[in-house]
Order: sequence, then C-alpha cells, then structure tokens
Amino acid sequence: MDIFIFEAAGHYIGIEAKYIYRIADNVMIVPVPLVPACYEGLIYYRGDLFDVIDMGRLMENETSTLHDDPYIILLKWDTGKLGLIPDRIVGMKWVEGNGGTLTVFNKKGDTANLMTPDEIWNKLAGLAYGT
Amino acid sequence: MELDKYQKIFIQESSKYLDELDTVLIRVEKNLQDQQLWGDIHGKIHSVKGMARALSMTDLATFCHAMESWCKSFQDGTKIPDERIVQLLFDGTDLLKAFVAGKGKISEPEDLERLRSISEDLAKAPEDLVDRAESEIRPSAAPGKIDRIRVDYALIESLLARSQEIMLLEKTLPPLTQDQISAGLGTWISHYISMLKGLYFQLAQLRLMPVQDFGELFRKTIRDLAKSYNRDVTLEIVGGEIEVDIGLMDRLREPFMHLLRNAVAHGIEPPDEREKSGKTREGKIVLEAERRGDQLILTISDDGRGLDREAISAYLKDKMGMSHEEMNALSNEKLLNIICRPDFSSVGETTQLAGRGIGMNVIAQSIEYLGGNMKIQSEPSKGIRFIISLPLSLSIIYAVLFRLGNYILAIPTSHVQAIENEDLKSSETVEQFCDLRSLLRMDAEGSGKGHIIRLRQSAKPHVPPPDNKGLGVAADAIIGNMPLMAIPLGELLAKTGLFAGVGIMENGDISLILDLEKIQTAVA
Repeated sequence: MDIFIFEAAGHYIGIEAKYIYRIADNVMIVPVPLVPACYEGLIYYRGDLFDVIDMGRLMENETSTLHDDPYIILLKWDTGKLGLIPDRIVGMKWVEGNGGTLTVFNKKGDTANLMTPDEIWNKLAGLAYGT
Repeated sequence: MELDKYQKIFIQESSKYLDELDTVLIRVEKNLQDQQLWGDIHGKIHSVKGMARALSMTDLATFCHAMESWCKSFQDGTKIPDERIVQLLFDGTDLLKAFVAGKGKISEPEDLERLRSISEDLAKAPEDLVDRAESEIRPSAAPGKIDRIRVDYALIESLLARSQEIMLLEKTLPPLTQDQISAGLGTWISHYISMLKGLYFQLAQLRLMPVQDFGELFRKTIRDLAKSYNRDVTLEIVGGEIEVDIGLMDRLREPFMHLLRNAVAHGIEPPDEREKSGKTREGKIVLEAERRGDQLILTISDDGRGLDREAISAYLKDKMGMSHEEMNALSNEKLLNIICRPDFSSVGETTQLAGRGIGMNVIAQSIEYLGGNMKIQSEPSKGIRFIISLPLSLSIIYAVLFRLGNYILAIPTSHVQAIENEDLKSSETVEQFCDLRSLLRMDAEGSGKGHIIRLRQSAKPHVPPPDNKGLGVAADAIIGNMPLMAIPLGELLAKTGLFAGVGIMENGDISLILDLEKIQTAVA
C-alpha cells in the first residue's frame, strides 16, 4: 500500500494514501475558541468543513515550525474529515502489508508510525473542549 | 417539435394555475359570497381555457368554458353559490389536471365517466344541482414528489451576473513574466476562487424551499380529508418563511401526510361535537417551523380530542400484560410513545382512509432515518402535538456578524432586537449582560466597549418580546447583517457547547453561529 509520510514534533507519521484528499496551502484557518491547543481552527475547502489540527501539538504539545505558509493535509474517510498541519511533508512510500512501523529513507534510518485517521480522531476526541 | 415545446409550456403553466385554483376554492368555500374570489377563480379558469384553445385542445377548452360560465355568474352576483357548487368545481379542477396531464385528452375509463357526470352537472343551472353521491369520496394521497421549487427572479439574475463575471475574469488575466507569475497569478486565482465560492453559495440557495410552500402542498388534501370525514378543518402555517433543503422536505412528505390524515381522521371532532364541548366548530391543524440551534423543529398540532388513552391502556394490558400499577408508574412521555410501537392501533376497523396499518411506528422510523426524533404531547380534549427535531443539513439564514477578539461570530438576525453603539454601563435597556469574552475564555481586554447586540427575549422570532429589556452581548465591531449558509457543527466543535453551527459567508469566509439558548443558560 502507498503510505503518505510527514514529520511532526520529531516524529515521522505515516497515513495510508487512500485517506489523503488534498494537500492544501494558502488557505486561511479561522480560529475557534474553547478548543484544545492543538486545534488550529476551521477551513472551508471545496464545500467541506475541516477541523484543522497541529500534529506537532497533538503528538508532543510542540508548535509546528512552518506556520508562515503551512501545508494542510486534508484527510477524508468514511466517518470523518480532518486537516493536519505537519512540520514537514516527507513523501510517499510503498510498503507491503499492514505493518505498524516502517523505515523512512534518510541517513539515520528513522522509522515512521503508521496511523489511521480514526486513531488521530480518537486522540483528538479524548481532549478537553469547552473549558 | 414546436408543438411539443408549446405543450410543455402549457403543462407547466396550467399546472400552476390549477394548483392556485385549489387554494382559492378552499378560501371561497369559507366565503361563498366573496365576488372578488369568484373573479379570481374565473380568471384562472379563463387562462387555462385560452391556452387550451391556442393548442386546439377543444374538449379541454369546452370543459373550462362550462366552469367559467358558472364562476362568472357568481362573480357578478346573478347566481348564488353554495357548497355543492364549490365541490363540483373542485371535481372539475381535478378533471382538468387529468386533462393537462393527458395533453388535452382523457383516456382512463374512470375519468371518462367522471367527465360525463361533471359535464352534465355543469350544463345545469346552479340551483338545479343535486347533492353528489357520497361514493365519490376518494382517499387522499400524499402530494407528489417535490421536484420543483419557486426561485426568486433576483436570485437568477444575480447568478447569471456572477457567472458572466467569472467568464470575464479570463480576459483580466495579466501577461506575466516568470518572476511575476507567482505573486500575480496567486492574486488572480484568489479572486477567481472567491467568485466561485460566491457562485456555489448562491447555487446552494436553489435547493431551499420555504416551509410555507411545503405546508401549502397539503392544504387541498386536508380539505378533501375533512370533507370525507364530515369535519371542518383549517390549516395554519407558522414560521413559513424558514427555508429548508428540498431533499429533507421531500422525505417528510409521507410522514406528514400520515400525521395530517390521523389528525383529521382521529383527532379533530365533528363540528357538532366540538360545539357541544365548547370549542369552535372549525378544528385547526397548525404546522409550525422554528430553527433552534442546529435543529429544525417542525411541530404539527391539532385542537382535537387528543390521544385515546383508553386504547393505550388496553394495549398495555392486553399486549404487554401490564397491571394498572405498572401503567401508573409510566411517565406521560413513555405512555404516549406507546403509539409508536409497530403493533399499536387505536382504530377498531379499517376504513378507506385510515387504519390501514400505516401506523405511527412508520412515521417515527422515517424521522429517525433522517437523523431526527419525535416527541408527542397530548391532553384529553385539548389535542395533540408532534414535535419533530431534525438536523439542518443545509439552510441559508440571515445573521448579524461581529468580531470579538480574533473570532468572527454570528447571531441569527431573527434573534436580534437591536444593536446599540454605547458603553454597557450607560445602557438601561439591557437587563442582563453576557460576557462572551469570559464564556469564550478570552483575555479581558476590550470588554464592555464597542457595540452591544441586544437579543430578543423569546427564541421564537414571531413572538414579540414582552418588554424592551433582554440579554446583551458585547461585540468589538459589527461586520454586518448578511446571509450565511448554515452547516452543522462537527463532532469536535459540538463539544464546546456554545455554538449552533458554522456559517459560510458569500465570499467563503467562516463564522461561528452562537447557540443562544446555551448562552442564556450559561449566563443564568
């Protein structure tokens, strides 16, 4: 399967490519109150509303480093939609099977954690809202 | 080919006139001496006749002429109309619809027989008309699929103008050097996207239908049902200006038809019975629409006899083996919801019009399928209310937009009493002040300055506030009163507990629509 890999707060994260709807840039994110720190806001993209999440903050509570012109990875799957702000997009990689981690092509031989959109969503849903 | 084109126009135009004719006939039935209404009826039949003649539909034109002659004599007061005559005109209108559907011809044997019968009656003088046979009562079907809506001419003009502007944008693309491409093209694309978003915003409005139009679809059906059951029933529509996605309305046709049929068949009492119990002879069915947060609330109520509690008790005893003590322990809500069970029926025998096994459970399931729910309220001899809550999948609302700190917030215009440009402390008209900054966990900077948006006390826009005082909300700056495409909150934002939905502006920008009930609760 094709895996889309990005970096956030020092982690490499892989998401199966079939969940990637678009990579958006130059889209204004509208801030929203009463949400966790990792929740950056909302975007309305081609008729759909996306919650936009800073993945660095979600993973390690660290701010993304590319806030000047952030790319937003837009995910769409059968039960939801989500926009993710990475620190850096690494690229696509083909892997066999459904392994939990995979090696990223760099000198250090880093590994990426495979995540499903539902796993990211559940992590988000578990945070405190409205406080 | 040309004839087909004109026939299509004829069908569209005639259908419109004939639907309007039903509405005016319902009105004239209650005001038989209103010559202006008779003039209106005359005019509509005359229009259909004129179009039929132009297309050489002789049978249809002749039939219209016979109906028209009667109306003319009532219009100028030379003859006195009565209810039998109005019924004949209703039957004639139904037949005209069959004519129109058959492009000027009627081929069904049943309709041919009716044509003969109605034509014979129309050939008589009105005073010679005898009562039509009771056997002509026919069960009323739900209105046909909603496949057409009325669109404001201004909206079409605006859409065309915007489309033209988008096409012309191509000519405004400046010649760019390689260095300029990045910045110049980016600006142009932003403008282009902004125009497209506006176009989408307006196109989305084409999917909306006012609740008033939806209710009107049932007016003739209710009238026919009432005649069939010897009831006198009127339909009132409240909140008819609220516009709802046509797809949602279409899916509600059948459930509403069943609820209305039940109201006439089992709810509203005969006029004499109503009079004896101190009610008006005319029963009333009310269809009420209200927007509450991200929900559309549709209420159907009647002022009839209310739910048959004896039938519910009998069901609980016979089918569920409940004792009196167990029944008494049930809450009113649970007791009334028993009517939504699949095997519940309060009707002893099946008639042509009701008791055919299409029960409340089918209605409840239809509402659930749409992501909604239904509550039932009923009091003996006072009537019944079905309160249906549905998610607003798409709607256009007018809202007052304002800025508070970094946030753009919106309050539906119908909930705004006034906007005051004054300091909170000097305002004597605001009973309570909502410190949104505190509710939204914002910095205190700017609190109490700028504008105050004074809210109506009642959540219902059609109910005037009892006095001038209400809840005030502070705003840093007012952006304006504008249409928003309201879309439901996602699961995450719903957890914040203070917003009713997300509003998309014409330029594609986003605002958060405040849930005023929750805000008022939070303030209290």
